[in-house]
Amino acid sequence: MAVVDKAGPRKDARSFSEIVNDERYRSVFYQVIVAIAVIWTANYLITNTAENLEARGMSAGFGFLGSTAGFSIAWSIIDYAPGDTYLDVYLVGIANTLIVSFFAIIATTFLGFIVGVMRLSKNFLVSKLASAFVEVMRNVPLLLHIIFWFTLSAALPSPRDKENQIALFDSVFLNNRGLYVPAPVPGEGFQFVVIMALVGIVAAYAVAVWATKRQFATGQKFPAFWTGVGLIVGLPLATFVALGAPLTFDYPSLQGFNFRGGADVPRAFCALLFALVLYHTVFMAEAVRAGILSVSHGQTEASYSLGLKPSWTLRLVVIPQAMRAVVPPMISNWMNVVKNSSLAIAIGYPDLVAVFMQTSLNQSGHAIEIVAMVMLFYMTVSLTISAALNYYNKIVQIKER
Amino acid sequence: MTDATQSDTVFRPKPSLPPPANTVGAVGWLRKNLFGGPIDTIMTLLGLYIIYQIVAFAIDYGIVNAIWSADTYRECLDRNRGEGACWAGIAVWFNSMMYGRYPDEEQWRVNLGGIVLLLWLIPFWLPKITGKIQIGMSAVLTFPFLGAAMFIGGEFGLFLQVMASIALTLFVAVWLHVASTYLSGRSLPDLLVSITGFANKDDRLHKYVLLGAFGVGFVLSMIYLGSWELVEVPTTIWGGLFLTLVISGIGIASALPNGILLALGRRSKMPVIRVFCTAFIELFRSVPLITILFMAVTMMPLFLPVEFNPPKLAMVIVAVCIFAAAYMAETVRGGLQAVNKGQYEAAQAMGLNFWKMMALIVMPQALKLMIPNIVGSFMGLMKDTTLVSIIGLYDILLMGKAAGQNPSWLGFHTEPLLFTAMFFFVLCFAMSKYSQHLERTIGGGYGRR
Repeated sequence: MAVVDKAGPRKDARSFSEIVNDERYRSVFYQVIVAIAVIWTANYLITNTAENLEARGMSAGFGFLGSTAGFSIAWSIIDYAPGDTYLDVYLVGIANTLIVSFFAIIATTFLGFIVGVMRLSKNFLVSKLASAFVEVMRNVPLLLHIIFWFTLSAALPSPRDKENQIALFDSVFLNNRGLYVPAPVPGEGFQFVVIMALVGIVAAYAVAVWATKRQFATGQKFPAFWTGVGLIVGLPLATFVALGAPLTFDYPSLQGFNFRGGADVPRAFCALLFALVLYHTVFMAEAVRAGILSVSHGQTEASYSLGLKPSWTLRLVVIPQAMRAVVPPMISNWMNVVKNSSLAIAIGYPDLVAVFMQTSLNQSGHAIEIVAMVMLFYMTVSLTISAALNYYNKIVQIKER
Repeated sequence: MTDATQSDTVFRPKPSLPPPANTVGAVGWLRKNLFGGPIDTIMTLLGLYIIYQIVAFAIDYGIVNAIWSADTYRECLDRNRGEGACWAGIAVWFNSMMYGRYPDEEQWRVNLGGIVLLLWLIPFWLPKITGKIQIGMSAVLTFPFLGAAMFIGGEFGLFLQVMASIALTLFVAVWLHVASTYLSGRSLPDLLVSITGFANKDDRLHKYVLLGAFGVGFVLSMIYLGSWELVEVPTTIWGGLFLTLVISGIGIASALPNGILLALGRRSKMPVIRVFCTAFIELFRSVPLITILFMAVTMMPLFLPVEFNPPKLAMVIVAVCIFAAAYMAETVRGGLQAVNKGQYEAAQAMGLNFWKMMALIVMPQALKLMIPNIVGSFMGLMKDTTLVSIIGLYDILLMGKAAGQNPSWLGFHTEPLLFTAMFFFVLCFAMSKYSQHLERTIGGGYGRR
C-alpha cells in the first residue's frame, strides 16, 4: 500500500537526471563553464605577455605617448614636426584617416545615387553600362584597385613637364607629385561670413519647422525649401559682399622643380580617394537600386489616384519609403569607407594604421598599447555610426498598430 | 424569329489591324529601349561612344600592340613603346604567381592536393548521391590536415599523421560511396552491411560494421602515410595563388560553423554567453581586417609562451578566421531573425531539444534565406585575403609586385595587376552567378524580400 509522504516530495531526493535536465541548473552550469574558460584564457594570455615583456626588458603602459616620435610624416592636415610626441602622431593619423574618408564618403554617396538610378534606367544601353561598371568594380579586391591606380598615377606628367601639364584654369594642377589647388586665405572679418552662414542654417531649419506646423494647422503650403536655400546662401553672401570680399586665394605656381604655394595633396591621397570612391560607389548604387525597387508600384498608382502630381508623388510617397531601405546599407557603407581607408598603408599614404600601427609600433615596440588605441579609434567611429543608425531606424520604421 | 434573320444579325468583327510597324520587332525594341526621346537618344549615343572608346583601347592595348614573347621588360618597351601590354612577362612569371617560391619539382603536390579537394567535392553536383552534408563536413573538417601533410611534407608528427589518415580514409570512402551508388544503386553503408551478412541482424549492430571498415581503412592509411617520403617545404616559401587559396579556403571553411555558434551565442538566453559573443562580434566587426592582421603578427608572439613560436602563416590564418567568423555571425543572425517565431514554437511543441530544433528546423530555413549574403561574405573574404600582402606574405598580389622588382623586369607592374584583377573578377563573378542559381533552386519557395 502506497503511503503518501506528508511532507510532499523531498527537495534533496531529486534524482541526478532531474537536476541535469532542469533548464535553470543547466544554463547556470554552462555559463559558469564558459566564464571559467574565458577567465582562464585571459589569465593565461596575460601571464604569458607579462613574462614575454619581462624577458624583452620592456614595460607596459601609456607613458611612451609623451616621448618624442622623431620621424617625419609625408603629409598631414594638422601641423606636425619630427620633434612631436607619439600622441601627436596618433592625432595626425586620425586626422589623415578622417579627411580621406570624408571626401570619399561625399563622392561615393553622390555617384552611388547616379549609378543606382542609371541601373534602373529604361534605356537598355545605359542600364547595361551601369551594370557592367558595377560588376567589374565590385569583383576586384579594393587593395588591387588602390595599388593599380597608384601605379597608373605614376605615369602622370612631372611638375617640370610644362607641355603635358594637366591644369584647370591655370590654378588646379595634377601631376605625379599630387594635386595642387589654390588655398583660401581668409582676410579680416571673414569670421562674420562663417557666423552668418551658421545663422542662415539655423534660420532655415526654424522656417522649415514653422512651415510644417502651419501646413498641418491650416493646409497652406509655404515654399520652405527655397526660403531655406535663400537664407543659407544669401545671408553669408550678402555679408561677404558688404565686408568687401575678405577672402583671397593663394595660387600654386611652378618654382624650380616643384609647385609652391596653394594647398596640395600627395599622389597617394588622390589614388586612394579614387580607388575608394570607385569601389564603394558600386555598393552604394546597389543599395539605392534595391531601395527604389522596394517601393511597390501600387504606391505610385495610389498616389496618382489621390490626385498627386508626379513630382509630389516622387517627393512625398516614393522617396520617403525608398530612403527607409536605402539609408541603413548606405551608412554601413560609409563605415566600410572609414575602415577600408586603412589600406592606404599599401601605397604609403600616412593614415592612422600606417603612421601609428606600423611606424610608431616598429620604433617604440609598444604593441599592445598601440593596437588597443588604433582599435579604440575604429570602434568609436563604428559604434557612433551604428548608434546613429539605430536612432534613424527607430524614427523611420513602419509604425504598426 | 427565324434562323435566317438571326444569322444575319450576328456581329462579325473584322480582323484587327496589325500594330504600327514602329512599335514591334527590332525597330519597336530600338525605339522603346534606346531612342525613346531626345534625352534618351543623347544618352544612347554617349553610351555607344564610351563603349567604343573602352573597347578600342582594350583591343589596342591588350591585343594589337601587345607583346606575347620577350625575355625582359626592356625588350617589351622597345618594341611597343609602352603602348601595349607585355603579356610575355605574365608567361614568364605565371609559375611564380601561382605557386610563389614553392620548388618547381614539388609543385605536383600542390596540384594533387587541389585535385583531391575537387574530387572530394564533385559528389555535391551528382544528383543521385545521398548524405551530401556528411560529405561536405568530412571535406571541410579533415581535408586541411591531409593538405597540410601533403604541402608541408617532411617528418610530420603523430597528430598530423592520424588526422591525415582519417582524411584519406574518408576521401576513399566518399568515392567508394559514389561508385556503389552508381553501380549497385545502394549507398556504401548499405552495401557494406549486406556484404558482411549483417543485413538481417539487429539494426543496432550495423554501426559496428561501419566502424570496423573505417578502422581497416584507417590502419591502411596510417601505413601508407608512414611510407611517404616528401621533401619538407616550409610555409615561409609558400606563395602566389596557392597561398591566397589556402588562407581564404580555411577562412571560408571555418566561417560558417564558427559564425553559427557565435550567432547562436549572441541570441542565447544565458547572459554570460550572450555578453561574450556580442563583445567578440562587435569588437572584430568594427575594426578593419588590416588591424586584426597587425594584431596577430605583433601581439600573438607576446600572448604565447616563449618556446611556442608559430609561423607567420598560422597567425595570419587565425586572424582571418576570427574576422570571417565575426562577419558570418551577423549574417547568420540576420537569417535567424528572419525565421518566423512560429517555427521555433512548433519545433519545441514537437518535443525537439535546442540543438535538434536548430539543426532540423531553424538553420535550414535561416541559411536558405541568407544564401546571397553568405556567398557575398565568402566573396568578400576571398578579396580581403589580398591584405596579407601588406604584412609581407607573398600572395598572388605581392608575387606580382615582386615581378616588377626583378632586375630584368624592372617596372613591370601594370600587367600583373591586370592579370590578378581578371582572375579575381572571373572567380567572384562566377561565385555570384552560382549563388543566384542556388537562390533560384534550393532557396525557392521562400520568396525574395
